[in-house]
Amino acid sequence: MVGLLTPRPTRRWTAILFAGAAATILTGCGKPASTNPPAPSAPLNIGISLPLTGDFSQPGGEAQRGYKVWQKMVNDKGGLLGRQVNLTIVDDASNQDVVVSDYTRLITQNKVDLLLGTFSSLLNFPASQVAERNKMLYVEPAGGAPKMFSQNFHYLFFAQQATAPHQADGLVSWIASLPPDQRPKTAAYPTQDDPFASPVIESMQKGLEGLGVQTVYTTVYPPETTNFQPIASAIAAKQPDLIAQGAVFEDGVGLIRSLKQIGYSPKIMFQTSAPSNAGQYSDGIGLANTEGIFYCVSWDQNAKTPLNAEFLATYKQLYSNADPAEDAADAFATAQVLQAATEAVGKIDQTALADWLHANTVQTILGPLKWDATGAPQSDFLLAQWQGGKVEIVGPADSATTTHIVNPKPGWH
Amino acid sequence: MTQLVQAMVLGLLIGGVYALLASGLTLIFGVMRIINVAQGAFLVLVAMVTWWIWRHYGLDPILASVLTTPLMFGLGWLLYRGVFVRISAAPPSMSVLLTFGLALTIEGILNVTVGNKFRSVTPRYFDESFRIGSIVLPKPQVYGFLAALAVLALLYLMLTRTWTGRAIRATAENPTGAALVGVSATGTAALAFAVGAATAGVGGSIMSVLYTFFPASHYDWISRLLGIIVLGGLGSLPGALVGAAALGMAETLTSAYGFPRWSTLVFYLVIVVVLLVRPQGLFGVRLREDVTA
Repeated sequence: MVGLLTPRPTRRWTAILFAGAAATILTGCGKPASTNPPAPSAPLNIGISLPLTGDFSQPGGEAQRGYKVWQKMVNDKGGLLGRQVNLTIVDDASNQDVVVSDYTRLITQNKVDLLLGTFSSLLNFPASQVAERNKMLYVEPAGGAPKMFSQNFHYLFFAQQATAPHQADGLVSWIASLPPDQRPKTAAYPTQDDPFASPVIESMQKGLEGLGVQTVYTTVYPPETTNFQPIASAIAAKQPDLIAQGAVFEDGVGLIRSLKQIGYSPKIMFQTSAPSNAGQYSDGIGLANTEGIFYCVSWDQNAKTPLNAEFLATYKQLYSNADPAEDAADAFATAQVLQAATEAVGKIDQTALADWLHANTVQTILGPLKWDATGAPQSDFLLAQWQGGKVEIVGPADSATTTHIVNPKPGWH
Repeated sequence: MTQLVQAMVLGLLIGGVYALLASGLTLIFGVMRIINVAQGAFLVLVAMVTWWIWRHYGLDPILASVLTTPLMFGLGWLLYRGVFVRISAAPPSMSVLLTFGLALTIEGILNVTVGNKFRSVTPRYFDESFRIGSIVLPKPQVYGFLAALAVLALLYLMLTRTWTGRAIRATAENPTGAALVGVSATGTAALAFAVGAATAGVGGSIMSVLYTFFPASHYDWISRLLGIIVLGGLGSLPGALVGAAALGMAETLTSAYGFPRWSTLVFYLVIVVVLLVRPQGLFGVRLREDVTA
């Protein structure tokens, strides 16, 4: 019965498909979108895949907010190239296979005008390959691992100040500025096996060894590590002056809790990303224990960069007066980079947009950003320190919110 | 020597907590052949509820399990009666799909209600320790270990000394035989599922003090717990204990001696070796069906 009924709809769909194909041929199939611009009133579609569920859902959700804040601010001012901006955001579930199919679908089926990047080097690595293959500009907010740029892609740009190996340059410079007798003598370097955390620590270790700081402990632990007492005990046995940890979040909280339980407090404590999670970090280790902890960060909410105050106000307006996380600010800056290139070029021409970014500096809420031929940024991260229960920027000097630096770190409370 | 003793003590303390976390999973599999992939999500759900109770009422998180355990028992019973009973005759793979869906649902509800943020429960003792000579015993681990042992002992007594426990074991070993002597398969299964979920009531509360967590933390936990019960033998409570102690030891000893990168690998290597020698796991029972399959 079903079989008897199917031919008619099939024939009808076949006819529609043929008609569609014929229409496509007549209207000039295969031409790039840039040569056949839609009416100025048509929305400008930007495709994004983000880890909204799974392991990276927390930063992925913040990145989504950052993009949406940018969308609102741009549309309130009349849109981009006179067109309202429409974001198509899909969930990649923190999965490399899904992110590839997401961006492929956004490009080939949704036929979006522009792309914006996803979160983490893990996901941006395969996603940037899809974009490059399709010759689509790919500006991304959180993929600074060295392997991203050894691909030598033309359409890839990382919208933070520096790649992972240079993230901690600020701390090394600060230690270099201390009189030799006040520098730490020994250091321990535990790091998570993470493409963004471990290069920071490896590069920092080289820099500090160059200053004569003796390495007494190194270890790389897997991301699923939850119990840090053994690592804390091993570190405490070496009595290092400085502990520099490549910490994503839970591991940063876990090591500090364990160091406190073991009863060892170093003179200088540095962690990569964990301390940037403001309230979540101080809730995890206790506010009093944050005093003196250093980290490097791409964005500060008190920075005097252009549009930063507006970003903060719009974020609070959209999200129940909450404070934005760094990941939201990075995503906003990423969209600012795309906006600057699009406005400068004046049309959607992917190659021209990439060429323009390779040749120019863009002002963002993170500060000015510029790139080399591989899309690696060429500026400096901010050096931050927890002081009196809040975060202060202590370097570089032109971005600092205070000239005071807590050194040595007080003991745990 | 001190380092070795310290690592072994920590391994045992952590292993005790892992055993409690895995006990519900093995109990549910033992009776119903349901691989409850949502057990990790149950733990995170309880940790979130504990966080909320602790933050708003200041109740000690481990004591809060007095509230969370009956809540999870009720939720487990309702879930079995409302959902799982429908797949009681289906193959175990169906239960993986259903419980994975349940885990995603719980994660989604937590994302929407409490937000996609890391939460920490930090009672006064969260970063304090007992000291015996040069050996450090972190207080949250010690309290968690003691609470876990108490619950596991109660669970053991319930399973071996009460009619209900005997009914659960009888259904696990021979459902048809149990039905012939008057044990209601559906009622017993609902009870076992509820008890399995209730162990997450205590486990989640303990977990909330030991670790930070967010809605998607359940993926890490379920993979760890499945490893434990496969090593110990699916459906075996003593097996879960031994498997958990093995994981705790593997984690702390490899970390203490400078090879934390190998901790996961060492644990799974142990599983592979054990399964090569004993395919049913350390304490698992090999059934006639397994041999003929």
